[in-house]
Order: sequence, then structure tokens, then C-alpha cells
Amino acid sequence: MNLNFRWLQFAWRNTLRNRRRSAVTVTIAALGTAAILLAGGFAIFTYESLAQASARTTGHLIVAKPEQFSKDEDVPLQHGLDGADALKTQLMADDHVRQVLPRVEFSGLISNGDKSTVMVAAGIDPDAEFAVKGPFLKVSAGEVLSSAERLQVMLGSGLAKSLKAESGSSLTLMASTTEGALNALDVTVKGIFSTGIPDVDKRLVYTDVATAQKLLGTQRVSTLGVFLDRMDATVPLQRTVAALLPKLQVQTWEDQAVFYRSVKDLYNRIFGALGLIIGVIVVFVVTNAMAMAIIERTREIGTLRAMGTLPSQLVTSFALEGLVLGGVGAVVGALISLGLSVALMLFPVQMPPPPGRSDGYPLNIAIDPTLYAGTLLVMLALAMLASAWVARRTVHQPIVDALAHT
Amino acid sequence: MSHTDAPVLRLRGVHKTYRLGEHVVPALQGVDLDLYAGEMLALTGPSGSGKSTILNLAGLIDQADAGQIELRQRPIEGLSETDATLLRRDAIGFVFQSFNLVPVMTVAENVDYPLMLNGTPTEERRVRVNAMLAAVGLLEHAQHRPDALSGGQRQRVAIARALVKRPTLVIADEPTASLDSHTADQVLDLMREQGHAHGAAFLIATHDARLLKRCDRAIELLDGQIRSEA
Repeated sequence: MNLNFRWLQFAWRNTLRNRRRSAVTVTIAALGTAAILLAGGFAIFTYESLAQASARTTGHLIVAKPEQFSKDEDVPLQHGLDGADALKTQLMADDHVRQVLPRVEFSGLISNGDKSTVMVAAGIDPDAEFAVKGPFLKVSAGEVLSSAERLQVMLGSGLAKSLKAESGSSLTLMASTTEGALNALDVTVKGIFSTGIPDVDKRLVYTDVATAQKLLGTQRVSTLGVFLDRMDATVPLQRTVAALLPKLQVQTWEDQAVFYRSVKDLYNRIFGALGLIIGVIVVFVVTNAMAMAIIERTREIGTLRAMGTLPSQLVTSFALEGLVLGGVGAVVGALISLGLSVALMLFPVQMPPPPGRSDGYPLNIAIDPTLYAGTLLVMLALAMLASAWVARRTVHQPIVDALAHT
Repeated sequence: MSHTDAPVLRLRGVHKTYRLGEHVVPALQGVDLDLYAGEMLALTGPSGSGKSTILNLAGLIDQADAGQIELRQRPIEGLSETDATLLRRDAIGFVFQSFNLVPVMTVAENVDYPLMLNGTPTEERRVRVNAMLAAVGLLEHAQHRPDALSGGQRQRVAIARALVKRPTLVIADEPTASLDSHTADQVLDLMREQGHAHGAAFLIATHDARLLKRCDRAIELLDGQIRSEA
């Protein structure tokens, strides 16, 4: 029989000597593993959701003049792009590019005749935008914009409420032109939407690019959003596009996703600390269990040493016991986490809205093979190292003392 | 008994002291001893006379303060812990008063353990373990755990474990103390028989008068010195 397998077999049997103690150790290792995997899976799901939402909002790549990203504008579209159609044609030539969406960003006033308020507006290509992004807005009244229609707007629900506007209402948009003059356009409300962020819904207006350009008196666009066929093509395509358009700057969705980066940074710290605490607990529990086992078996250790077992072999043997305890605990914990994750897919649980949001979100736990493999490996390593660390002193004590231990 | 070969174990002027708090207790005071292949030597004497200390020094699990110890004509002073371990693994078998079998191993695995340690090929191990278990009459108990055996059976397993690797020296500390007289006789017969069969020298600490009679020689110790030899 293979020698390593024989040592592992003895380790397994030794863990069964005190079943209650081993059961407690395995249970805590299992709960610790499950907690790490559930928290990690939740974090990964959140990262992926936010990443997709960010990329869906801006495009995987954002092409603009460098000043657009670094400087404020004195007049609207001061740093805007000329020849957006030609640029779009160039960009669409790449097989990974699904769509290129122009965007005109501006601000101004919106009025119902009696009341005027500040708006933050975006001119978009409606048909292409909805085709690429899907139902990215929650439409509460009316319909979405159409590229075939001009002088139509969609209002955020808070703004619509403020202006007492509804689908079909007539409003006036006012903004500075690129020449610095004040311009106004009468528009019709096509629909009312909610982004899920009340503060944004109080200000945001969508219209089509042509209407926005007409209001601002320009043919420029602020940026071009490049939508790719998959997330992992982002960085390679960034390099390709940057080489294709050397006078322009190309940012990724992540460069613009301040909220995503903040959440990721916060979660990494929170769940990192949680993982560290759980790791310490597991180490203490395994250490305690192994310390008791080793004290009980001091005389046996003396016997094995007398028969010619090297201290390193005994340390390995105890490390294998830790491996068995930690391994069984980690596998049970992984199964618990897997079961809960699948259960949440089959029986969705809705979470309450986060701070600053009006909509809740489904609680989902990502099943990430890398997270599972990494957590299991760390748990095994911690259990083995803790056991070896506890054993190393006893196996080196004088054999005569170990044999006399009662 | 006269011997022409060199002794398997040789002690010359061996001293050993133990510290108990501020007290220094002399355990051995200049002990000389020779033990030859195939010989069974009993150490006797009252508690504290130095029997166990000689066993520990001869078994390389303790170190003398002064004097010379040679095992197979090789001085053992200055051996590293690893070298001493490897020499024990190769040359010395132990039989303990309370058997000291490993409870998670079966009878066969206990006997096999020394062979596993010294890297004996698997098939040879199987043959030798079975032969040794047959010799001690426990082949049918090969797959039992030690806690399923009687005291005498356990000591027979311990003897099989000590002899299976064909050691030069067997150290036995009160091997019959935990056994009834009938079982003790069986165990002694077995030790003699197997010891002669494998040419092993036995160094036995005992108070058991029956065991003394069956040994080739007996040394009586008192206060860490040899009082008499017979």
C-alpha cells in the first residue's frame, strides 16, 4: 500500500478517536467555509451586476477627446466629437463591436410654463440604445423614445412629478448653445421612467441626439459609447481603438464607474476582514482540537519515536489529521454554500432597496469556481499548518518524558 | 558463558544523573556491561536502582552524562537526533510493560509499522508480518484492533512488532508485569524462542523471578551500580 495513503489512513482513524471533538471542529470549519463562500459569492454577484450595469450604461469603451475626461467645458460640447458618424463606421468595423452609441450630455432648465427647474439631460440614439441595452429604464408611464421622432423627451419620475407632467404634456427645454446664447425648444413628454435612484430621477431627461444638437446648436456629440460582444474583450479592444484613433482618448467602463469601484473597495475590505476573522476562528478551533489530541497521545508519540519515527514524519501525520478535519469541514461548508446558492436561484428572495435607491434587488450568490477552489485550499492549508504548529513541540520533547506521560 | 564475538552492546563507565528541582539524583554511577548476540540479559534491582536508565541509554532514547556506549561496535556519543532515530529504527526493538500498541492500527498494521518505517518492500512486509503473527499465534487476529485482544495477546503483538524487523537488540521494560503467570510464561517462551530464531540480544528490566530464571545472565543493580552478576 502506498506509504502516503497509509499515513492518511491513520490520520483519518485518529480523527475518529474522539468523534464529538472532531464533529465540533468539522462543524466550525464547515460553517466558516460556508460563511466565506456565501459572503464571497454575494460580493462577486454584486461586482458582476454592477460591472454589467456600468458597462450597459456607458458602453464597454467610451471614446472622446482627452479634454472631455479631464476638463470642464466653458460652453456645451466645447470638447465634443466632430464627425461622429464616420467614427462610428470606423469602430463598427471590428468584429467584437456590437454597437456604437453617440451621447450628447448637457444641462439646462426645463419648464412647464409655470415652473422651471434644473435638468441633467442626455441625447441618445433611442432605437439603438434600447436595442443594445435592453429595458434599462423602468417606464412607469407612456412609452420609450423612438429614433424616428424628434422633439420628444422622457422624464425621470421625480422630475415629472415636480413639473406635474405626464405622457403627452408639453414642456420647454432651455440651454446655452455652443455660442453661449440661450436657446429653447418645445418638446412633448413621451414617457416617464425611474432609474431606481430618486436623486437622479428628479433631474434626468432623455431625448434624441438630433433634438439635443438642435437645442445646443451643434453637430457634435459628447462621447461615443462602444458596446462589445463580451466583457473580457474590453481591455484588448481599448488598445486597438486607442491605436486606431490616436488623437482621441479611450476609457473603459471601469474608469467611469465610480460607484462600482467604491462598492468593490468597500466590500473587499468588509469581506476581507470577515474572511480573516473566520480564518482565525478556524485556526483556533483546529489548534485547540489538535492540542487536546496531541496531549492525549503523548505516550503514543513517545512509542512511535522510540520505534524510529522521525519528528518530521509525526508532524506530517498530525498535519494530515488537520487536513482531514479541515478538508471534511471545507467540503461540507462548500456543499452548504452551494445548496443555499442554488436554493436562492430557485426561490428568489428580494432584498430591500439600498441607501439612496428606490428599488430592491434579488439576493443572489455567485457560484464561482475560483472562489470555491481558493477557499477550500486556504482552509486546508490553515488546518494543516495549525496542526503541524501544535504538534511540532510535542514530537520534539524527550522520548523518555513522552513515554512517562500519564 | 564465554563469548568470542564482540558484544552487541557495550557500556563502559556510564554515568547518568537526573535533576529534580535543586536535587541531583545519581541514576547510574560507572556502569560496565556487555551484551552479546542471542543473549538474554536481565537487569534487576529495586525501584530507582537504575534499570530503566540503562534501558533508556541502550535504547538510544536518552543520553549518558559520561562514559562510553557502543551499539554494534559503533560509539553512540555525539549522534544527531536523526541518526539516533535511524539507528533505533534499524537495530532496536522495544517491548513495553503496558504494550504501547497504537490503537488506531490493526494488529497486522502494528507489526508492519517498523517495516513500513524502514522502507521494506510491500510484498516482503506482508510475508514477514504474516510469518511473525503466525509465530506468535495471532494470525487469525491480524485485522483486529488491539483493544479487542487480551493482555497476553497484546504483549505477543508487541513482541512481534519488536522482532519483525530482525533487530540487533531488543529492549524490554517489565514485559511480564502486566500479565498473569500463565500468560507471562507464554510470553517468556515466545521471547526466548523468537530471540534465538532471529539472533537478537535481549536487555530486560524485571522484578519477575520466573523471568530471571529463564535469562542467560542477570545483573543486580543498587543505587546506580552493579551489585552482583549471575
